[in-house]
Amino acid sequence: MTVHNLYLFDRNGICLHYSEWNRKKQAGISKEEEFKLMYGMLFSIRSFVSKMSPLDMKEGFLSFQTSKYKLHYYETPTGLKVVMNTDLGVGNIRDVLHQIYSYIYVEYVVKNPLCSLNETIQSELFRSKLDTFVRSLPFFSARAG
Amino acid sequence: MAIFSVYVVNKAGGLIYQLDHYAPRAESEKTFGFPLELVLRPHDERVLVAFGQRDGVRVGHAVLAINGLEVNGRFTGDGRDVLEYLSSPANFPVSIRFGRPRLSSNEKLMLASMFHSLFAIGSQLSPEQGSSGIEVLETDTFKLHCFQTLTGIKFVVLADPRQAGIDALLRKIYEIYSDFALKNPFYSLEMPIRYPLLLGQEQQQGPASPPPVTGAALEAAASSPLNV
Amino acid sequence: MARQGSRGGAESKKMSSELFTLTYGALVTQLCKDYENDEDVNKQLDKMGYNIGVRLIEDFLARSNVGRCHDFRETADVIAKVAFKMYLGITPSITNWSPAGDEFSLILENNPLVDFVELPDNHSSLIYSNLLCGVLRGALEMVQMAVDVKFVQDTLKGDGVTEIRMKFIRRIEDNLPAGEE
Repeated sequence: MTVHNLYLFDRNGICLHYSEWNRKKQAGISKEEEFKLMYGMLFSIRSFVSKMSPLDMKEGFLSFQTSKYKLHYYETPTGLKVVMNTDLGVGNIRDVLHQIYSYIYVEYVVKNPLCSLNETIQSELFRSKLDTFVRSLPFFSARAG
Repeated sequence: MAIFSVYVVNKAGGLIYQLDHYAPRAESEKTFGFPLELVLRPHDERVLVAFGQRDGVRVGHAVLAINGLEVNGRFTGDGRDVLEYLSSPANFPVSIRFGRPRLSSNEKLMLASMFHSLFAIGSQLSPEQGSSGIEVLETDTFKLHCFQTLTGIKFVVLADPRQAGIDALLRKIYEIYSDFALKNPFYSLEMPIRYPLLLGQEQQQGPASPPPVTGAALEAAASSPLNV
Repeated sequence: MARQGSRGGAESKKMSSELFTLTYGALVTQLCKDYENDEDVNKQLDKMGYNIGVRLIEDFLARSNVGRCHDFRETADVIAKVAFKMYLGITPSITNWSPAGDEFSLILENNPLVDFVELPDNHSSLIYSNLLCGVLRGALEMVQMAVDVKFVQDTLKGDGVTEIRMKFIRRIEDNLPAGEE
């Protein structure tokens, strides 16, 4: 089991952070285009899901999976979006994404007055705390090869 | 019913078959005094609740009827603009029916085509080699399952998140469809499935020597003992 | 699972309320010296409060696990019973709802910011706790609500209670993606 990569978007679609641990295939486009495409896809999925749902939704879109990976999604009421791609063996990790928001983003970015919101996170401390956290997850294992 | 809908989408993203199979969405009718405690806004061709929630009326619900008369998009049954009507105290008290808006056929076409693109993007953004498009999409109220055939047709089923056995259902639907596509010489591939034989007749199952009744068979498959 | 961040040590991070009151007081008096007129000081306090609010909302959401509010009454409850309690240790009461349900008052029996403060006569139009208005406005703006917040009664000015009036202006739709609920 493993974590492939993680994106953090703000309410305006700006990619605040991106990390990868185990990514075998790149998208074939530049990173900016990839962020825009990812954000656009999520935006459309949310709109799609709210129209398609037969009942009133509370949390909305949670995850999707393909034959090779699973994308997990978590959004706060302030529009911050945490997106994590893992392999297929991973179940519901909404609480993990919530922890990334509350223990890492809020602590190391929001509470740091030198970090301005609404632009890519420069803080090295944030990056390293996030990295340590993800590596310590029970479903993370650095694969050989 | 645990299966909510079935969509069949062709290679180009066009909707060729659609079936809805769920209980009516929640609706509530209440009498309101001026001023209205709910914040309404226009969206697409409807008037939706943007903010405010009481007695079963939720954010996202649409105005369905005013004083018993069904609204026509953003206009009342007798042609007046809904938002203007509801901002004038002279028209109160008023009885308004709210509910989750039903999808019009145009919207279904649009959503099918949207899913077709999302399916492809899911594959493009994959961090792993050789990924398919989106096969399962999960929300808190439904789970969408998609099976894409080697010929590019997608069978999409929306079901309750706890419903099992959808893979088998998707394969069954594929079988029924392929019988129809192969064995009906008058059906052009990729075109909407529209034959009169498909409508009506609830309980018919499986092949018979008259042409397979695809629509009814699809309905029957959806309501088979597979469902709880 | 190894926890990063020191949420477990929350108790050891408590600061004495005296230190907080003194810090706030020093801030206001410095602003009065810098700006010389009460109106400007009020504006600065509001701006500063706004900048605090836009960040505080994230901490609030992270710690309280409250979801999105769909109704202004729900918002009022969350502000009074969860937010004020969490950050200032008090629970104001909610009163005076307007008929349209878009305006209400928060009544604070005591205001931790003003312990031992007395407003001098030459600062009669100073809204000492105006920071709070900015905080509420900034925080709610981040969850797509435009509100107007102001003090209508202040114990510092001789009123019996401190009253903050909050009015819902509109939902901020610009950044709200289509289909958002």
